[in-house]
Amino acid sequence: MASSTVNSGALVILEELNPSSPLFQNGASLRVTGKLLDYAVVTAVAVIADGSATLMIDTQHLKMNFRVGSIYQFIGELFLESDRQPILRARVGRNADGMDLNLYRQSLKLLKEFQAEQAHS
Amino acid sequence: MSNQTNQKPSNKETLINPNSLHNTHVKLLAFDFNSLTHFQSPSSSHDPNLFYRKGIPISRVQVFGVVVTRDLKPEKFLRFSIDDGTGCIQCILWLNQLTSAYFSRRCPSDVRSIAQMANIHSIRAQIGFDVRVRGRVSGFRGLVQITVDDVVVERDPNCQILHWLECINLSRKCYDVQSCKK
Repeated sequence: MASSTVNSGALVILEELNPSSPLFQNGASLRVTGKLLDYAVVTAVAVIADGSATLMIDTQHLKMNFRVGSIYQFIGELFLESDRQPILRARVGRNADGMDLNLYRQSLKLLKEFQAEQAHS
Repeated sequence: MSNQTNQKPSNKETLINPNSLHNTHVKLLAFDFNSLTHFQSPSSSHDPNLFYRKGIPISRVQVFGVVVTRDLKPEKFLRFSIDDGTGCIQCILWLNQLTSAYFSRRCPSDVRSIAQMANIHSIRAQIGFDVRVRGRVSGFRGLVQITVDDVVVERDPNCQILHWLECINLSRKCYDVQSCKK
C-alpha cells in the first residue's frame, strides 16, 4: 500500500551533515540530535553540537524551555541561507537528556544497514 | 508499492498455523509497516482485511515514534502520525464509542469504560512525545494505518533506540525466517 503523506525526518548525525551529503539540501526533512550550546531568546535560534559539528535550529514554532548543556532532538526542514549556512526550521522538538549518544550513533548505523538489506531482499 | 503483492497464503492453514504472526503484535519499523500489502479476501471465512509482510499475514502491530501530527475531532476520533526516523505511520484512535451503533448491543458500563480508556489514550498522544502504539492494521483511502488499541508514553529517550534494535533482531531472527519457511 502507499505510504503516508507526512514527511519523515531522516535520521542524521550532525558530523555527517555537510555539503557533500545528499540530505544537505533546501527542504530536506531531518531529525537531528545534539547538546544545546546556545539559545537566543529574541530570535528563538538555538545552536546544537555533536562532536565538532554544530547546527542552528529555528525554534519559533516550538513551545518548550531550553537549557544550555542539555541534549535536544529536533525534527524539521533544513534551509540553506544565502551563505549556504544551514538552519533547521524545527516543527517538533524534545529534551533528550539521558540519551546514550554513543549507543544512538552505533544503532543508527545498524538501522541504516538493516534498511539497505531489506531494500535488496 | 512493494513487489510482494502476489505472495498470498495458499490456503486457510497458513492463517491458523501456530507459528503464524496473525494476532501477534508484530514490532515493525515505519518503512516496513508502510510496505505492508493489502489483500481483500473474497471468502467470508477469512478476515476481509488482511495485510502481508513478505507473504506472511499480519493483523496487529506495535510501533514506536515521535508524535508529529495530531488532528482531534472530539467524541469522534483522533488521527495522529508518528515518526520513527524510517518513516511516518498514520494512526486512528476512535472516540465515538458512546454514539456508535457498533457498541449499542454491548453493556453500557463496558462501553463507558472503553470510551474512558480511549480518551486517556488520546490525551497521551501529544506532539513531540515518544509513544509506543499498539493496534490493528487497517487501510484508509489506499494508505495503511493503525487502528489504535493503546498508546503508552515513554519518557526514556533510549526507548526509541531499543525499539529499532528489537525490530532489527525480530525481523532477522523471526519474521524473515517465517517468510523463508513458506
